[in-house]
Amino acid sequence: MINLENISFDHCIKCTVCTIYCPVARNTHLFPGPKQSGPDAERLRIKNPRLVDASLKYCTNCKRCEIACPSNVKIADIIQDAKWKYTRVFWFRPRDFFMSRTDLAGSAATMFAPLVNFVVSLTIVKLLMEFFLRIPSARAFPTYNNGTFTSWFKKIRGHQGGFKNRVTYFHGCFVNYNKRSLGEDLVRVLNSMKIGVDVVREKCCGVPLIANGYLTRARKNARYNIASLSEQKKSNSGIIVTTSSSCAFALKHEYANLLGLDNSAIYSNTEYITKYLFDRFEDGNIPDMKPVHIRAAYHAPCHLERLGGVMYTIDILKRIPGLDLVILNSECCGIAGTYGFKKEYYKVSQDIGQHLFKLIDRANPEYVITDCETCAMQIEMNTQYQVIHPVTLLAMALK
Amino acid sequence: MNYDCLIVGAGLSGLVCGIRCASEGLRTVIISGGMNALHFSSGSIDLMGYDPSGKVIQSPCRYLKQLEEKKPGHPYSKVGVKTVRESMEFFKKQCGLAGLDLHDNGEENHFHITGLGTMKPSYFSQKSVFNDRLKEAYERKDPIAVLNFDGFRDYFTALTLEQIRGLPLLRGVRITTGKITLPYYFRTERNLHEFRSIDLARVFDSEKYLPRIADEIKKAAGGARIVGLPAFIGIDNFGWIHRRLEDMTGLLIYEVPTLPPSILGMRIDRALKTRFADLGGELSAGDKVFGGEIIDGMLDHVHTENYGSTRHRSRFYVFSTGSFFSGGIRSEFNKIEEPILKLRMSGSQERSKWYSESFFDKKGHPFLSYGVDTGKTLNPYGADGKTVKNLFCVGSILAGYDPIREGSGGGVAISTGYYAAGKIISARKKADLA
Repeated sequence: MINLENISFDHCIKCTVCTIYCPVARNTHLFPGPKQSGPDAERLRIKNPRLVDASLKYCTNCKRCEIACPSNVKIADIIQDAKWKYTRVFWFRPRDFFMSRTDLAGSAATMFAPLVNFVVSLTIVKLLMEFFLRIPSARAFPTYNNGTFTSWFKKIRGHQGGFKNRVTYFHGCFVNYNKRSLGEDLVRVLNSMKIGVDVVREKCCGVPLIANGYLTRARKNARYNIASLSEQKKSNSGIIVTTSSSCAFALKHEYANLLGLDNSAIYSNTEYITKYLFDRFEDGNIPDMKPVHIRAAYHAPCHLERLGGVMYTIDILKRIPGLDLVILNSECCGIAGTYGFKKEYYKVSQDIGQHLFKLIDRANPEYVITDCETCAMQIEMNTQYQVIHPVTLLAMALK
Repeated sequence: MNYDCLIVGAGLSGLVCGIRCASEGLRTVIISGGMNALHFSSGSIDLMGYDPSGKVIQSPCRYLKQLEEKKPGHPYSKVGVKTVRESMEFFKKQCGLAGLDLHDNGEENHFHITGLGTMKPSYFSQKSVFNDRLKEAYERKDPIAVLNFDGFRDYFTALTLEQIRGLPLLRGVRITTGKITLPYYFRTERNLHEFRSIDLARVFDSEKYLPRIADEIKKAAGGARIVGLPAFIGIDNFGWIHRRLEDMTGLLIYEVPTLPPSILGMRIDRALKTRFADLGGELSAGDKVFGGEIIDGMLDHVHTENYGSTRHRSRFYVFSTGSFFSGGIRSEFNKIEEPILKLRMSGSQERSKWYSESFFDKKGHPFLSYGVDTGKTLNPYGADGKTVKNLFCVGSILAGYDPIREGSGGGVAISTGYYAAGKIISARKKADLA
């Protein structure tokens, strides 16, 4: 029987526009493109699961096909779903296991952050990882914080209680383990607007789990997060914000569309941070800012574009005084979460990014601004520019 | 929201409107869900190709002057011939600024050869499709070779040849067909049968194989002076590659529009989006407007699918959402409607009146001229029948013309988009002065 919710492939008119805008198909002939892998092949797979094609694994789930589709077909969801439903996966996958458990790896690494950062940067370790784990040695790794965001937050939690208006902050793994400063910046920005921050117990949003095929685990995390976030809602303004565009996309869309869970309790009040800030700014709650005198190029992450959230980030950035902003043409950076950390996809991932790196160089900025943590890693590794989050820039502009 | 102009739909009309607004310093945003119909177009711009009897029109602007009296409800008559002329010049200039050179025939239509081998009257064509040198060569009756890549399935030279031989303009011309083979492909996992125009366009764009392709073209041309190739001579660097191939082969090369995805159409899409971004316009590509509220004859706000409760506000709004194909107009079993605001429609609600019995009926199909009803200034009427003063409808959402039968789709999109932008700009200036 065909699940009625999943027949959006039937709306495909075979126009091939998705394949034009697929960054993977553009850079390798090994991937036949979203049209063929998604709606075309889905008909065959439903008929006979043995007709599944191994090239599915090349999809990065960047969602650009869905943005391009004139017929509203959920192409990337079809591919993600098929990737794990029909392909037999070998159970022993140490690399994928650790890569997708960002919270497990993170909490261990932050305890010995200086040591871990040092060891991972050694050439010999990189070569060993390439040999045993098939993680490309050329890949730069994110560094770990010395201590988590949540442990820092515990120290200031009491202060947050003083604000009548509070939001729940879903910090995600990256802020917690790799970039605590972004979480600190957010607290500063919100506090300057007389808004307090609550943090609840959370698990990884599930994006890396979904990408690596651990769907059961992803569902478990999702249920935990939905319960935890909807519980907290009762004691504050009820709004949940994230500083990660991909976390926001998972909480809002993938929980329901891909994992088949009921996320209605958090759907309408979960926002990517710039949308939340935009609404407050519109209400007249704008923090006091001083000119930053910076020339920056803005790169819109694929998932934020799919969320339709790019216009809010741009609006926030345009309000920062003294910011000379160049908005880059929309291009995928190629990293796609854990995709760019795998040897078999590394070349494709780097090739995809070249178009963006050229645009950045042409813009000649001092900083690159982007909303996504993995886009930032990819850009920092491949260009000489420092990459900052819009919230960090706001914090820099605070008086 | 502090936008001056919020445009729904990033197609030809929406982009032209957005570019003009942004070029005057207005804060402009385009919200668009899904890529536009340029990806399915020939990439040439038609202004007015045929009169109601199906006869080819030589001079469209002269014809439009008569149309103003005969059909005051036609979008061209509403915006006026003067604005139509201006808008076409504006469009040509903007494309040129983004590196896309268009050929015009001095306010007269010219003919370009279609994928089926017919001649189609157009107002603008890309320089690689039609240009003065080609025109002279056709007139000299230079021999033509129609070529294709061996194995490429979206173009059939035999079909072109059959048609092209019967064309009066090419009577007495020696026309041959030929195949180009590219050994490079035999080393990839996929064979050429699976390739679409976009894959081949990327091969051209990479510039790696140009000398080899040039050699193959020369061989396959077999002494012809003019060579027709399916249109995939690059997406980014097409101008240079076209010139380069002509230099290397010593032949005149013209491109023939292919089945979708249309590379020629994509070039226009890119040129316009680049211009819009360069002028500071904002494009939100992943979201869809689904509703809004009209208060006292003014559109107050619109809603998008991803941000249901948020009110997107702007001083002026433009709907360039397209016709049935793009979802700007929706049809159900016995109903046609404008889905966002249920604006007043022109056209029959009775299904049996929508179409003609014969698919190729000379009179066309009535549904093609259905659309949103507007006043002279392109302001539509709300469901209550009152004019919505700060909303303009542009492009194929408009009623009162048949783009297929007239050969007028491109021109109507450009001129109405340009016209609405003009109205918004002057209203904005007036407000600033007050």
